[in-house]
Amino acid sequence: MIIDIISLIASSPVMQRALLATVLVAVIAATSGTFMVFRGLSFLTSGVAHAALGGASLGLFLQATGIAPWFDPILGAVIFAVFVALLTAYAGERGVAQRMEVAVGVSFALSMSLAVFLMYYLPPTMIPQIWGYLIGDILLLDNLDIVLLVGTALSLVLLVILFKKEFVYVSIDMEGSTAHGMNARGYHYLMLIFAAVAIALTTKAVGAILVYAVLVAPAAASNEILKTVNSVIIGVFVIALASMLAGLAGSFTILASPSAIAGLIAALSYIIAIQIKRFTRKD
Amino acid sequence: MSTQPPLIEAENLSVKYSNGDLALEDVTFTIDSSTFLAVIGPNGSGKSTLLKTMLGLLKPNEGSIKVLGYDAKRAYKTIRHLVRYVPQRDQIEHTVPMKVKDIVLMGRLLKKPPPRFSTTKDSECAKAALHRVGLDELWNQPFPELSGGQRQRVLVARALAGEGPVMMLDEPMSGADHDSQVRIVEALQEYYNENQVNIIMVTHDLNPIHMVVKDVLMLNRTVMGVGHPCAIMDLDLVKQVYGPTAKIVELDGHKYCITHDSGIDRHDH
Repeated sequence: MIIDIISLIASSPVMQRALLATVLVAVIAATSGTFMVFRGLSFLTSGVAHAALGGASLGLFLQATGIAPWFDPILGAVIFAVFVALLTAYAGERGVAQRMEVAVGVSFALSMSLAVFLMYYLPPTMIPQIWGYLIGDILLLDNLDIVLLVGTALSLVLLVILFKKEFVYVSIDMEGSTAHGMNARGYHYLMLIFAAVAIALTTKAVGAILVYAVLVAPAAASNEILKTVNSVIIGVFVIALASMLAGLAGSFTILASPSAIAGLIAALSYIIAIQIKRFTRKD
Repeated sequence: MSTQPPLIEAENLSVKYSNGDLALEDVTFTIDSSTFLAVIGPNGSGKSTLLKTMLGLLKPNEGSIKVLGYDAKRAYKTIRHLVRYVPQRDQIEHTVPMKVKDIVLMGRLLKKPPPRFSTTKDSECAKAALHRVGLDELWNQPFPELSGGQRQRVLVARALAGEGPVMMLDEPMSGADHDSQVRIVEALQEYYNENQVNIIMVTHDLNPIHMVVKDVLMLNRTVMGVGHPCAIMDLDLVKQVYGPTAKIVELDGHKYCITHDSGIDRHDH
């Protein structure tokens, strides 16, 4: 059975791309998802993934109607993601996470409504392309998707290496960081905009379902039980990678989407983490 | 007389809340350096607003305020370089798994340019600061798991570990147990006596630091009084600021104010 799978991988470009994407999405989860959970903003991930859907449908609409044939759906997805990030970042300038959640909620509704609205004006042949953003399939990736994922993962890794402390300081104490002379506002915007663009591009590549599955729950699970920033980052990578590999392997044995299985396992990791925390708590 | 510029110089300062209400109105006063200053007043009297305006976090609506001769509106970058700040406790998020040492080191690393590597000297200063608040043994402990009082002590240590001639603390004793309050006051007093430093502490209750501070600024949207602790404790004045139930008691030759607010843990927004 294992030998069958290995020989299948070796001979199939589809599987090679899927495995490479699995590692890249785990890197994106470890860098982007982790800092969103630190910032108290895991909801931004779902918000941006849906905004990307709205942006992509706007792109398709502009192309289909001939208003702006150059307007690629990916461009729309990225613009909408940045819009959500800017709105959220503006709401959170004073450092309060609670206001940001409202901003995400409002832009989420706005872009999702726009997507559904535009669907009525699109030729029916284009609708599956919109749903592709939502469902996605790690077994149906093309080379552009892989390029997007490689670019996103590398940029995020670089950003985290350069500004990890700043992102952490902004998350803990934005006002104090500003008062000590750090440009906390600048790092706050940088962090949210980069995360949003990363989420939009990842959504385009693998679909929103997998994005929710591995960008939120593994980070939340690791943050419950691990005690340092670096160990949480590594923990997220491991949980995300394991969930997606299990999803891929599982999709061969039972008839189900790899993203759905990965999502179930990742969500389960959070529930397990909470139980572990409850048992090891010393009070 | 020193030729040094005053620590704070406010002239006709007015500041508005984001909802348009006036938080401070026509505030004019001067405090000379070096001092341990307590900024007191009831809830909503503009104490925190004054600190934030000095740091350039809020902009004056009218008038001006200078810190060590630097205008807070124009030269806020210079001021932030000189200041170490302890924000109100509800500004601190506990969503990141930081160790106590990471928090204390922030006081030094925030003043550096990226990548903000910590040196041996940074660690030594951070350890010494944690020792001052009596929490040496928590160096490697997770910050979010500490009690409210321990967290406040760590945040004070963060300020003590840093550098800069002005320390600003916004209600550093709020939410802290009695022992922690005593340790914070002792640590600040000790540090003030041993170093050339100015301390500005916003507090709703002067009594715990009555014996420690040199100057008191009493606010209630505008300046109600400036002076030494006992000089401020005038019955007519405290009744005017805190309401008719306020009392003055004398103990060992010092005057203390008792209000309905004393010892109750609340703060401005």
